[in-house]
Amino acid sequence: MSEQITSAAPLTAAQEPDGEDPPPATPGTTGAPGRRRRRSWRRVAFGGTGLLLALGVWQVAALVIGDPVTLPSVTETVREFGHYVTHRYPEVQGKTLLEDALISTGRILAGFGLGTVVGLVLGAAMSGVRVIRELADPIIAVVRPLPPIAFIPLLVVWFGIGETSKVALLFFGVVPVITIATLGALDAVPAELVNASRSLGASQFHTMVHVRLRAAVPGVITGMRIAMGGAWTSIIAAEMIAATGGVGFLILQAGNYLQTPLIFSGIIVIAVLGFAFDGLLRLLLRAADPTIRNS
Amino acid sequence: MSRPGTSHAPAAAERRPADAVVAEPRITERPSAIRLRDVGKTFRGRRRRTAALEGVSLDIEAGEFLCLLGPSGCGKSTLLGVLAGFVPADSGEVLVDGRPVRGPGPDRGVLFQTPTLFPWLTTRQNVLYGPKARGALTREVREEADALLETVGLADFRDAHPHELSGGMRHRAAFARVLINHPSVLLMDEPFGALDAITRAGMQRFLLELWQRHRMTIVFVTHDVEEATLLGDRVAVLSGRPGRTKAVVDIPLPRPRVYEDTETLEFVTAKRRIREVLER
Repeated sequence: MSEQITSAAPLTAAQEPDGEDPPPATPGTTGAPGRRRRRSWRRVAFGGTGLLLALGVWQVAALVIGDPVTLPSVTETVREFGHYVTHRYPEVQGKTLLEDALISTGRILAGFGLGTVVGLVLGAAMSGVRVIRELADPIIAVVRPLPPIAFIPLLVVWFGIGETSKVALLFFGVVPVITIATLGALDAVPAELVNASRSLGASQFHTMVHVRLRAAVPGVITGMRIAMGGAWTSIIAAEMIAATGGVGFLILQAGNYLQTPLIFSGIIVIAVLGFAFDGLLRLLLRAADPTIRNS
Repeated sequence: MSRPGTSHAPAAAERRPADAVVAEPRITERPSAIRLRDVGKTFRGRRRRTAALEGVSLDIEAGEFLCLLGPSGCGKSTLLGVLAGFVPADSGEVLVDGRPVRGPGPDRGVLFQTPTLFPWLTTRQNVLYGPKARGALTREVREEADALLETVGLADFRDAHPHELSGGMRHRAAFARVLINHPSVLLMDEPFGALDAITRAGMQRFLLELWQRHRMTIVFVTHDVEEATLLGDRVAVLSGRPGRTKAVVDIPLPRPRVYEDTETLEFVTAKRRIREVLER
């Protein structure tokens, strides 16, 4: 260990180990990908086994009960599911499972999308302008704990049973959640991070966009995941109460005619769609927040 | 204990032959002088007013290493914030190179208590943040960033994110991020306070070498008497709240200093003098 200081060489202190702990993780993508891949394979294998076990229990229970209206077997449900993907239910003026799924998805995308945009703008405005925060705070506080489903009859009176009432319902459910998530995430950005940016020569505007807003992105996406869960609850309820299409409508119809396998089919569609949307948001979160990439 | 770097280190940094392979950029062309006159700052809360600084006057020479020492809550950090331009002073004069401070700027590099790297950027992107934000990102600057990462010993970690670095590495990355702006002043707010003793000693050695070579003006806030004695040319001792300059103590220890100096009699004597002022 030499203390020679030569001007062209790196500072010696920087090269010495300093007695530091090794960095907690290997940098970037150069880490041990083998181990990580093995771990994720393990997770997939065990998760798959768990699902298969659950299906096995279902199948055994169905065989023991022996009544397809109470509990259809897995095979029967799968057969019905496959059938109604391309066949209408009810046969006369109904829709196929695929069409109903698309209708519900379309409503989610429209209502959730609009609600997210408005929630973002409102949250950012509340964070930036004190008057807006003071005006909007009590409104949000009152509206947020209300279950959106309570508004369904009102929205039907206002907008009818068409698409507008569904999108409005989702919108009013999503806005408070996203607003609060955005506000909280923006408030949580450390002042030092903003100061650091300014003292590195960034303008106020550049700092706002590239530091404050950027630092809030993971918190906002987490809020979107929460709002997405609520959105599915609302839309299925709305479709059961007043609608002529959508997965909720299909489940209700199937229930009215004791078509239990179709009820299960509808539930499976919701599960798959919900999982897919949450998966997309999780991918977005991983892209936005490098600290969770290694987990 | 031999100190081979004693004589030639600063000279070599200043008078490098033009045709030499420049593995490391010049960081400061011209260090700044700082002048504080009767600086006062009062924070107004909802219920009470807190006088953080009152009548602080201090002159810091260009290229000087000055330590600000005082009990916690004495306004050291506020004073640094005033110099950095984060906190406007209520009264008095704050001049850096004869110009009044009107806000933060890249000429005054700030190192915080925590490294405050941008967690979504890689080490290299963090270093390039300043030039990029100012629209000054050229090929030369990129090359300089790589050279700086080499200097701070993070060349192998340029594509790592901050959470993948150890505590000391994060601080060195923060150094590189500030140094690429060629600051004429470094403002440091207890930067090593949260590090363990061993890493801290390593960072102090790193800072001493850096200053020895580049001689920027450094204002270093600390509440650790030993740290102030080891690093500073002078130590400005602030009184408790509201902070004002109690005394400015010269540290007559020879340069360059190394960590082992802390065991010499002169060091202990200097330390005792500061402690006496502090307890007065």
